[in-house]
Amino acid sequence: MSSLDLSGVTKKFGSQETLKGIDLTLESGEFLVLLGASGCGKSTLLNLISGLLDPSSGTITLDGRTLNGVHPKDRDIAMVFQSYALYPNLSVARNIGFGLEMRNVPKAERESAVLEAAKVLQIDHLLERKPSDLSGGQRQRVAIGRALVRKPKLFLFDEPLSNLDAKLRMEMRGELKRLHQMLGVTIVYVTHDQIEAMTLATRVAVMRDGHIEQLGTPEEIYNRPATTFVADFMGSPPINMFKGQPLAGTNLIELDAADQPFVLDREQRSSAATDVPQKLLVGIRPEAFRLEPIEGGIPFDCVVEIVELTGPEKIVSFDVKGQRLIATFKPEHEFRASEKIRLYASMDKLSIFDAESGKSWL
Amino acid sequence: MLSDRKTLHVWLLMLPLLCVMIAVIGWPLIDTIRLSFTNTRLVGSEGEFVGLHNFTKMLSSRNFQRAFSTTMQFTLISVTLEIVIGVLVGMLLNQKFYGRTILRGMLILPWALPTVVNATLWRLIYNPEYGAFNAALLKLGIIDQYQSWLGQPQTAMMALILADLWKNFPLVALIALAALQSVPNDIRAAAISDGANAFRRFRYVILPYLVGPLMVAVVLRTIEAFKVFDIIWIMTRGGPANSTRTLSILVYQEAFAFQRAGSGASLALIITLAITVLAVIYIRIMRSWAGGTN
Ligand SMILES: Nc1ncnc2c1ncn2[C@@H]1O[C@H](COP(=O)(O)OP(=O)(O)O)[C@@H](O)[C@H]1O
Ligand SMILES: [Mg+2]
Repeated sequence: MSSLDLSGVTKKFGSQETLKGIDLTLESGEFLVLLGASGCGKSTLLNLISGLLDPSSGTITLDGRTLNGVHPKDRDIAMVFQSYALYPNLSVARNIGFGLEMRNVPKAERESAVLEAAKVLQIDHLLERKPSDLSGGQRQRVAIGRALVRKPKLFLFDEPLSNLDAKLRMEMRGELKRLHQMLGVTIVYVTHDQIEAMTLATRVAVMRDGHIEQLGTPEEIYNRPATTFVADFMGSPPINMFKGQPLAGTNLIELDAADQPFVLDREQRSSAATDVPQKLLVGIRPEAFRLEPIEGGIPFDCVVEIVELTGPEKIVSFDVKGQRLIATFKPEHEFRASEKIRLYASMDKLSIFDAESGKSWL
Repeated sequence: MLSDRKTLHVWLLMLPLLCVMIAVIGWPLIDTIRLSFTNTRLVGSEGEFVGLHNFTKMLSSRNFQRAFSTTMQFTLISVTLEIVIGVLVGMLLNQKFYGRTILRGMLILPWALPTVVNATLWRLIYNPEYGAFNAALLKLGIIDQYQSWLGQPQTAMMALILADLWKNFPLVALIALAALQSVPNDIRAAAISDGANAFRRFRYVILPYLVGPLMVAVVLRTIEAFKVFDIIWIMTRGGPANSTRTLSILVYQEAFAFQRAGSGASLALIITLAITVLAVIYIRIMRSWAGGTN
């Protein structure tokens, strides 16, 4: 069953077009993450869905009902904000029950709903406190509780974890995932943090300058990025990009940074594009490099520059023909600075782009 | 050791100011206290010690009681109106509209004017022969002939309050505007999608951010209004028929017009005491506000 549907949605502020035509369909029970750098229009899109802003054009429907022109309170959508947005002089219980109170739900019913939501979020012992007496993580739980208690058709989250420290962020991430699986709710979640996107989403929409650059599962986004922008945006340390060109009349692709051309196995690729771009960019993820020769692997002759141990892995920066190459290895591998090493990149992890358009090729 | 030196430093730096303050406030205050227990006249020989006579005479006099109630009337009405109108104007100026920046800038003008200028201006406006106030009301059909607004006991006080209001509501409006701008947008948005109507949004979202700064404004304005002198002196000199004679005017008349320095001093001390009480309340509120937020 289709739940949320956006078609041709744009938003202008004055002459500035912040959203340039968003098309999106969301199934009920999905966890969609809108991922993008700050300023790309994520919050604006969320505000259009919640009704705090009106679109300049396009339609938004939820469960078949058109939302254009419907007041935010009548949309059956609840929103959770980065700043928590709790009412400062109301108790936790009244904060959570506020939406119900405003809708004139009887007190007894309201109280049991608040208690239920608080139990799910493990904040039932805090109900009498004021927001000022809570930690950041507890405040965020209250904010989530306030959304939960309304049992809306759709939840919107705008960077809910950005104000938390790293450890708490990870904990709340797990908590959100648990809530989503337990309650089966539909969520649109905004973040600029690719780890949050990868771990939480059933699907990710990577946004850039007011449009969706790619929409897909986290695996698709990471392993088959549609553009160099998406490839660059996902992954830490970032993907390595090498300039290259096809050798005319052959199946070979030559890379400026590698000593020998590699064979492009077209059968592995989905489409057989006929127009061969003159200039290519080949993206190779840091974890795709090996120290031992592999079948069909592309060899790179590198010099070790910097070695960083993060704990679970070693991040090594190499110089290859004047270009930086970053690869990750298991921590037990030893590297010495200035050491010459031959690395092999496995073929199946390559992403090939048209250097002109930045779009994925093949 | 270090903190000792720091303490010494701070005191050294404050010393010049302290000397000046003792000279211009401390000494006159002590002299006023001394005077208030004597029957000294403004000119002539040193008076004799009369104990609490000045105080008992003052507190039981008709003039004092009338001036006290006039002062309370002026204070209560003008501060209440200033707060209400100031908040409303603050809320209006917090809306987005074309020309808002210019209006916000212009708002400060009445408040920035010296009281003397403001009072003189309003005297012209109220002028019974060619005043703009009369002209405007006549054109609107509210009155059928020019009135002497400052010349009639029934209207003089209201006319004064209006002039004072015009000068002082901008301060409240600016404080309210600053407070309104500190209301987080997210909370406004949350309340809208939670279904709160305009009244409840004011009650639960805006008011919590407004209360503290407004309390400060209320107490500051109350203290100021309680000791009002200049605007009244210029516009009515306490008249007509003493209908606008506040406590400060009474002190002036007692000490300088009637040259009774002793009882003038006792009256001044009574006012000082009343204002001290207000100031203590003010400091209490400030403290609880500073300690109670976040
Ligand atoms: N109310 C507004 N008026 C004018 N411009 C706005 C408004 N809201 C957002 N913008 C602009 O739209 C762009 C996207 O903002 P936003 O949606 O908040 O980005 P994000 O949430 O992705 O960081 C920004 O350039 C911002 O300046
Ligand atoms: Mg944002």
